[in-house]
Amino acid sequence: MKRRSFLKGTLATGAAAVAVNAGLLTPSTVLAADWNKGAFAAKSMDDALNAVYGSTSVAASGDIKLVAPAIAENGAVTPITVDASGVSGVESIAIFASKNPMPLACEYAFGASAEGYVSTRIKMGETQNVVAVVKAGGKLIKAEQEVKVTIGGCGG
Amino acid sequence: MSIKIRMRGKSKGGVAEIKALIKHKMESGARMNKATGKPYPAEYIDMVHVTVNGNQAVDAQWSGAVSANPYMAVKVKANAGDTVVVKLKDNTGATGEETLVLK
Repeated sequence: MKRRSFLKGTLATGAAAVAVNAGLLTPSTVLAADWNKGAFAAKSMDDALNAVYGSTSVAASGDIKLVAPAIAENGAVTPITVDASGVSGVESIAIFASKNPMPLACEYAFGASAEGYVSTRIKMGETQNVVAVVKAGGKLIKAEQEVKVTIGGCGG
Repeated sequence: MSIKIRMRGKSKGGVAEIKALIKHKMESGARMNKATGKPYPAEYIDMVHVTVNGNQAVDAQWSGAVSANPYMAVKVKANAGDTVVVKLKDNTGATGEETLVLK
């Protein structure tokens, strides 16, 4: 082992350990704390939905504003905005790309001091639907939009 | 190695849109290195926490399907002078933190 990389390695792990001790990484007590491994590893929409919300019955709703490009020139950077601030009691928003190898891209859980709004950029492998699922007041609702991908953003 | 975050936000009528730009390669673990025939090891941010004055506002879980150098915008109920903190970590254990006092 080279001395330089060895030093770098010890420094990095050391810093991470200090961060944990200092309470920087204390998981939240109010909201979900652990990374939902099963949901992110799920290979189909339904499996992923089940793993996140424990149900696959999702009603389409016009109250969610899903903003996604009709044509994404570069699938690696697809801007997605989900605005559910018109829905009351939003607990969580999850963004799925239906045909990605692992459909669940990200999931946001909201506390009392947050609005049901999120904007981010995701990778999309091919032309497919983007599905935003919102959990509000114990119910699941969704908005869906097709995004045409000219250059895929997964693998390569 | 700490992860770099750039944050902006402004409170308007009690609601602040917090925008964060994070410097991270977000390697999903599925991309092949053509020279070696093996995939590049996964390295992506998996947890993001946003707090307002110490109270949890947003807890996000990400996968490798979030784009490289991620952009995230969320809206929180906060007024001028409130402190917004974004904390995150990736699957290798690297962490990042940034604090913003709203104007």
